[in-house]
Amino acid sequence: MITFNRSQVIGAEFPSEDTVRFNGVLVDHIYSMEINMDVQLSDGKILSIEGIMKRYTNFVCPQAVPVLQIAVGMSLREDGWERRIMKEIGRKGCEHFAEIIIECGRCLDQAWLAKDLWQVLETDPGMDQMEFMEKWLAKQAD
Amino acid sequence: MTIRFLRNKVVEVTSLPDGSLAVSWRLTDDLLKAEVNLTVQPPDLEIVQAEVGLDRLVPRGWSTAPQLIKKIEGVRVGAGLRKIVLGLLGGPSGCSILVDAVLESANAVILHFTRPILQVGECLAGDEKMANLREMIKNNPRLIRSCVSFQDASPIMQGLQGDK
Repeated sequence: MITFNRSQVIGAEFPSEDTVRFNGVLVDHIYSMEINMDVQLSDGKILSIEGIMKRYTNFVCPQAVPVLQIAVGMSLREDGWERRIMKEIGRKGCEHFAEIIIECGRCLDQAWLAKDLWQVLETDPGMDQMEFMEKWLAKQAD
Repeated sequence: MTIRFLRNKVVEVTSLPDGSLAVSWRLTDDLLKAEVNLTVQPPDLEIVQAEVGLDRLVPRGWSTAPQLIKKIEGVRVGAGLRKIVLGLLGGPSGCSILVDAVLESANAVILHFTRPILQVGECLAGDEKMANLREMIKNNPRLIRSCVSFQDASPIMQGLQGDK
């Protein structure tokens, strides 16, 4: 029998050329929460954020919701960003909100790459996707 | 507006008849499909088996992932795990997705043990519930200041001040 199960789902849409809108959900046997967050693509800065706490373990947990606003202005591209999110949002607020934000951050470039790859495939469906990805990643690393 | 990228991640813990725990960690998104399977052996929570499968658009640098993850065999889930995993699986020649998979799997193992404790607390109310929460903190001192509930100003912690 499964004794613990956690699902995380991250969706990314692009309301403008330089903005990613993330919706992140974490659901497991103990917790259920959601993050909606706009991020600037170029510098990874969090532009706005809201969190919904649906299932949690004690009466103090909802106090983590306003703590999320500390994240506005933080960059998901700066060195040590994951540790900063865990320290500022996780420790002062809720570790599981921090986990969703971190997963969104990990999806930042992947979402951008997927969007660019989709655009190219529309005109060139037979293109070498692996080569496109390697070139795209190399360009990002420069 | 349509979603341009969608990632699904699942981690599951299963108790096996021999007492060990099977952890299945899976990720699927527009670009990558990954599956990591660990076997964790109580009581010291040693990772006795680790395997990975990667599919779709896998960065070339990750081609050694199936061999790399074997380095984690023999490591125990517990204090200092993050540093050990980063040292074994991370870095420029490592594979970041394996680091995430192993740490998230280890966290799921911890939550597998936490779930029944929380379920016992659900039957309690009032002072008994608060006492149960404080007992949990006493038994798990790493929870202290780990989140808003266990910061010094929290009503849960204030009742613990004299006991710490």
